[in-house]
Amino acid sequence: MELILLIILAGSAVTAVFLHDLLKSALSLILASIVLAIIFFMKNAAYAGVFEISVVAGLIMVLFIAVISMTKHEGILLRESGFPLILFPVIFSLFAVAGIFVINRLMLQVNAGNTLQGTFGQFLWEKRTLDLAGQAAVILAGVIVVLSLFRKGKEDE
Amino acid sequence: MLGYVLIPLVLAGLLPLVSRFSRKFLLDFLPNVALFCLLLYSLASQSGNIDSIVRQLFWFGQPVGLNLCIDGFSRLMLFLIYLVSFAVSIYSVSYADAENLGSKAYYYGLILVIVAGLSGLVMSSDIFSIYVFLEVAAVASYGLTAYSRGAEETEGAFKYLLLSAVASGLILFGIVLLYSFTGALDLGEIFIAARNPNNRAVVMVCMSMFIAGFGLKSALVPFHTWMPDAYTASPATLPALSSGLLIKVSGVYALTRIISVFGLNPAVSLVVVYAGVVSVVIGTLLAIGQTDFRRLLAYSSISQVGYVFLGIGLCTPLGITGGLFHLFNHSLAKSLLFFNAGSLEQSTGTRDLSKFGGLGKRMPITAGTSVVGSLSVAGIPPLNGFWSKLIIIIALVQSGHPCIALIGVLASVVTLWYFLLVQSRAFFGKLNDTWKGVRESGFWMSSASLFMALICIFIGIFFALFVKSWIKPAASAIMQGMNYVRF
Repeated sequence: MELILLIILAGSAVTAVFLHDLLKSALSLILASIVLAIIFFMKNAAYAGVFEISVVAGLIMVLFIAVISMTKHEGILLRESGFPLILFPVIFSLFAVAGIFVINRLMLQVNAGNTLQGTFGQFLWEKRTLDLAGQAAVILAGVIVVLSLFRKGKEDE
Repeated sequence: MLGYVLIPLVLAGLLPLVSRFSRKFLLDFLPNVALFCLLLYSLASQSGNIDSIVRQLFWFGQPVGLNLCIDGFSRLMLFLIYLVSFAVSIYSVSYADAENLGSKAYYYGLILVIVAGLSGLVMSSDIFSIYVFLEVAAVASYGLTAYSRGAEETEGAFKYLLLSAVASGLILFGIVLLYSFTGALDLGEIFIAARNPNNRAVVMVCMSMFIAGFGLKSALVPFHTWMPDAYTASPATLPALSSGLLIKVSGVYALTRIISVFGLNPAVSLVVVYAGVVSVVIGTLLAIGQTDFRRLLAYSSISQVGYVFLGIGLCTPLGITGGLFHLFNHSLAKSLLFFNAGSLEQSTGTRDLSKFGGLGKRMPITAGTSVVGSLSVAGIPPLNGFWSKLIIIIALVQSGHPCIALIGVLASVVTLWYFLLVQSRAFFGKLNDTWKGVRESGFWMSSASLFMALICIFIGIFFALFVKSWIKPAASAIMQGMNYVRF
């Protein structure tokens, strides 16, 4: 079951990259995100699953689709290099081989004894405060980037 | 200690509000004053020279977990971060106005977030926190790369973002593997876990992921392709900040810190030294024949980062000292050269070296400081770059790598050759008629260039004092792994 989900996840992510229609590409990404959330739930990572569905598959995709609906196709066709189409399967195969023969073997030896002490929130606040502050800084950086890239230019004024 | 991160971050958040009251003065004044104060503080903190560590604080009676540490290495990097960012900030006062970069609040905000991210990274004693702060700086730098919003800028930023995301993925995967096996994220705990013979396989896999991930961040060959495109199109301050700080801190510092925690072993040493020598050769060869000034500087950066890795990869006290000294010197000189490139571009409207000629008469400060920067990068005495390259070459010979030392010397000669070509094409000879109306760049841009050039000369003259007070403590922190494990 897990293997099938992983194949769907990789397939839909690759499709999202190679599709030319932005809307179909976003929908393909939603599928990848939902499958990833299911895998999180299966691995008992409920918090990660909830965030993946609500934020990535939900909020961000709504934003993507809203933006796509506001764009206009001006009939310009960009010529694309065929190089990624040749390179991608090679790199993907290399990663797959490394995953199966090295990472998979390593993961079988993992000791699953690293459990949290206290609730998830307590752990984050008491042990990972610096990371929480860092996450807040990432969000601040993202907000400033968005504001700076969508600032009013002279032509708008 | 927290002020290094919090002050720039809070100021970055406040600047858009400040811009409602003052559109110019306060927006220039506040970031410059804040960065100057933090620069002075980082300079003063060296006199204490005692390692500080924070594990837990209490906030309104509640315990909060913080893994922060400042040792000799972090202290050197903090000083470098605030030195270069202060120079960039001064330069921006005139540059942002002349380039019509739009709201200065967002522009300075992005610079301050990058500074906060890099400061957090060098003080973190936890591998996941290092990753988080790496992302803080990276997100802001993507925005700064695309800041001018043209097609070329957007393409450069997109390429940078994609390759940087691959690097982040590799680093994160390495952290996940490490945590799965050892249950350790704290560098002190990793120091102990990495020496357990049962963890040898996972340490090697993680190490290869970290070398690839941080190698990509520091533009080591073959992971260098993002750099020329990202540097060519962005505002001139981004490459100055990136070549001076981002690749040094989020690439070289992070990798060196991790190598020192994992243990300086011969296999890793060999990989890093050979990656370094390949970068030196390829970067130098690619820089030859470039007519775009910024692209030439980008390829030169790839080659100079190679020298840094050559020194650090040797894992000998002298090699590490040379590598760290070159890291510091190259940051100063390359930021200065990117300032010069920005000034030239702003005054003439082009980056094409073949179109320049005789500009030294019209832009004497840019020409003079550019000579200092070029000679420093090429390693000409008595400038700072000479001493660091000399230490690296001696360390290479001492550790039984005379051929690599010879390659280093030859690459340095080629570097001198192409920088002399740049100088002669741009600043010497007969003044091209097209540039008769050209004037020296703005006051603050020239001041920033002069400031950096004077520091290059000062460190070159007083190199022994600088090495003793700043570089040696940093090198000994690396040699000892994680000092604060013993606290």
